[in-house]
Amino acid sequence: MADNNQIGQTKIGPNYLRVFLTFARNSLVRDMMFRTNFLIESVSSLAWSSMNVGLYLIIFQYATSIGDATGWGKYEFFVFMGTTWIINAIVQAFFMPNIEEFSDLIRTGGLDFAMLKPIDTQFLISLRKVSWSSLANLLLGSVLIGFSISQLATRQGTPWSLPPSVFLLFPMYVLCGVAILYSLMICLAATSVWLGRNQTLYDFWFYITNFSRYPMEIYARGWGIPLFVAFTFLIPVLVVVNVPARLLAQPLAPKANWEWPLALFTLFATVLSVLASRWVFRKALLSYRSASS
Amino acid sequence: MMSLASLPTQFSCWWMVFRIALEERLAYRGDFALGTLMRFLPIITQIFLWSAVFESVNGRLAGYTLPDMIAYYLLSMLARAFSSMPGLASTVAKQIRDGEIKKFIIQPIDMIGFLLLGRVAHKIAYYTIATLPFALVFFLCRGYFSSGWPSADVLLAFLLSLVMAFLLGFFVDLCIGLIGFWFLEVSSLLFVYMLLNFFLSGHMFPLDLLGSWQFVVNFLPFKYLAYFPAAIFLGKIESSQLWIELGLEAVWLLGLICLARFLYARGLRRYSGYGG
Amino acid sequence: MAIISIENLSKSYRVYQKQEGLLAAVRGLWHREYRDVHAVRDVSLSVEQGEFVAFLGPNGAGKTTTLKLLSGVIYPSGGSANVLGYVPWKRENEYRRRFALVMGQKNQLWWDLPAQESFRLHEQIYRIPPEIFRHNLDELADLLAVQKLLGRPVRELSLGERMKMELIAALLHSPEVLFLDEPTIGLDVVAQHNIQRFLKYYQERRKITILLTSHYMKDIAALCKRVVVINDGAIQFDGSLSGIVDQFSSTQILRLQLAEGVSAEGLDRFASVESVELPKVTLRCNRQDVTRMLASILKQYEVADIAVEDPPLEEVIARLYEDHSSGGKYEAKTGEPSK
Repeated sequence: MADNNQIGQTKIGPNYLRVFLTFARNSLVRDMMFRTNFLIESVSSLAWSSMNVGLYLIIFQYATSIGDATGWGKYEFFVFMGTTWIINAIVQAFFMPNIEEFSDLIRTGGLDFAMLKPIDTQFLISLRKVSWSSLANLLLGSVLIGFSISQLATRQGTPWSLPPSVFLLFPMYVLCGVAILYSLMICLAATSVWLGRNQTLYDFWFYITNFSRYPMEIYARGWGIPLFVAFTFLIPVLVVVNVPARLLAQPLAPKANWEWPLALFTLFATVLSVLASRWVFRKALLSYRSASS
Repeated sequence: MMSLASLPTQFSCWWMVFRIALEERLAYRGDFALGTLMRFLPIITQIFLWSAVFESVNGRLAGYTLPDMIAYYLLSMLARAFSSMPGLASTVAKQIRDGEIKKFIIQPIDMIGFLLLGRVAHKIAYYTIATLPFALVFFLCRGYFSSGWPSADVLLAFLLSLVMAFLLGFFVDLCIGLIGFWFLEVSSLLFVYMLLNFFLSGHMFPLDLLGSWQFVVNFLPFKYLAYFPAAIFLGKIESSQLWIELGLEAVWLLGLICLARFLYARGLRRYSGYGG
Repeated sequence: MAIISIENLSKSYRVYQKQEGLLAAVRGLWHREYRDVHAVRDVSLSVEQGEFVAFLGPNGAGKTTTLKLLSGVIYPSGGSANVLGYVPWKRENEYRRRFALVMGQKNQLWWDLPAQESFRLHEQIYRIPPEIFRHNLDELADLLAVQKLLGRPVRELSLGERMKMELIAALLHSPEVLFLDEPTIGLDVVAQHNIQRFLKYYQERRKITILLTSHYMKDIAALCKRVVVINDGAIQFDGSLSGIVDQFSSTQILRLQLAEGVSAEGLDRFASVESVELPKVTLRCNRQDVTRMLASILKQYEVADIAVEDPPLEEVIARLYEDHSSGGKYEAKTGEPSK
């Protein structure tokens, strides 16, 4: 770092990794200042997730699978849920606190400062804070997946065995999912430039991602088809969890002929969403007028 | 303490507070339009999820048919529209932390009354916009209400339970916010509350699904925030129990009002003690 | 070559006109009225390297907007500007690394963290070489006497201390141009004075270019040789502080100390009498009449001491604002239906 300073000063932009590490470090310092709070937050987000398990434990007392012959039995569904948590934990840890603040920054004019810095404004806005406590769910999700897979792998009849490619593909598709959700979030947050205050942003986000929390098969019926299409191709939230979860939870099921195209489409959708989010963010900055002129 | 002569001025003051809150609310129509629209999205996933779940169940699940289940979610949403208080506790806590609470010490106005009125205004503003979409959704989903309209006295009890759900929701949130007098950040406490509320109020699922564990939630106030009104409407509560239950709810409400007053008085004393 | 040059810069934007009353608010859901606000109109200005220029003007005059335009935070609706050879609103990293903006009413440091953590972040964002960072931080913290406070959470600092930290944050990367928006607002006299002294010292030493807006005449008198008066979004005056008085004040003040036993009677024949506290008398008269007036007074009265002064700057400027705002074509109202 020190040796390329002379050049670094004039030509090269900031070292984004180092800036991010400083963000992460500062957030950790802050979190540690409010240690009790941090602990309670971690515990409560774990409790939140456990509650979800609770609900489905209750449901699976009455039902054998989510949908008839979809292959989403109890443990398959728990793998799905674990995947949901992992993706949401990453989004909540790195992006959620910042993007929630984005509307505030617009309202209070705090965005001015972000725009002054010699660094990509979207980067600065998106990653300023890291909510370390949200990562608790990432652990819990991994544990749930691990447990469910071991249950599936040792069960009678058709035990699971995972192909090694999954260990590469699963993380990759998890990151794709994160990128899609992030892009959606940025687009939503940017609307507050045009709509003024946007308190409902979080609700909107919750409702939209709500669709992604269930196996996509449940929408593939009757009047669910248009939704299925819209949330796969227009706002691709359905592929966010479904694709990585399916890699883990349905490895033995006969691969339907739509699975590989869907996986490819997910990659395409990821790239497109990220580009779209950049475009929207730029547009939003353009029409941003300082709150106090 | 309030003389009779000051009543009209007192009233006009409160009317002003109410109007300002209402106007403030209506100024942000973008929020409004989006918010109202979005509120109905979860019900769609619920319909699909439960349709899928019921595929492997023979007809009834804990006494609920599929239409019952959907009707339950719709009704509990209506109840939540009354009882949920987005941002109340955090705003109160923030005002305490930033010292904005001084305003209520300096100005001759009661904070709890002020906030309550503000909330009423917010809710009214919300309903003026939301009634239409609500009516539309209920109309579209009328098929799920297989047993039709309940009798008049059940309907009355239902309405009463909605009003009390609003007040109960308000005072619980307020109490949590007021705890901010003692703790710098109440956000985590609020989160725990939201969590309990979500699970135990019946927002997540009908409490009857708990089976033999249902007696636990019966001792807690959360069920009045979502489950109770919906259960009344769907006839899940026997008519002999109905008015006793409503009485119990009123007792809870009274207790919470007292608690809020107590916390506020204590908190203010503590606050001015510090010289804020 | 000017370091900042602005030509015909304008900025107008449209705000939602909130209507009085409940009914109107409901109506506002479907139909909204907007009005155009011209925050900056046709401003032209040129600043040389090393100048310390003050923007003076009442609230809403367009000072802050001008600074924001020059920082590239907002786009102009017309005109051009060039700072250090860059067009500010292109927001190039090279440009952003070479200036800083400090706003007295806003806080850019992490509230819950010690200021030094925010500084370290700046080190990374601005890519300040570690040794330069260390050196600058030490120097600035010493000058502002806040070495001991660097490790304390910002929320625990006083307003004055926080302002000092904001200044450090802004200066760590050694900007060549500094924009200061009300840097002393809300501070007590001692803190104000400290910041003034620091700014003066730092500006003279580093020879940086500073644009400052302030309400406090003291700030300006202490720091700036050149003053730009802005009102209604347009420049009303550009010159030295004393020039304002010359240009905008038609009167001067005569302070007489009469000899013992001399009565002040009859002095009102020459000029308007402001106050009489024998043996002191204060008179005000038109600038061009001063010499003649003095001659005749000296002829008829026995005077122990005499002084001619300009009226206080505050008074002149207050009058200046009044003059210009009375002719306000400040905003044009446009009713516009919208969805």
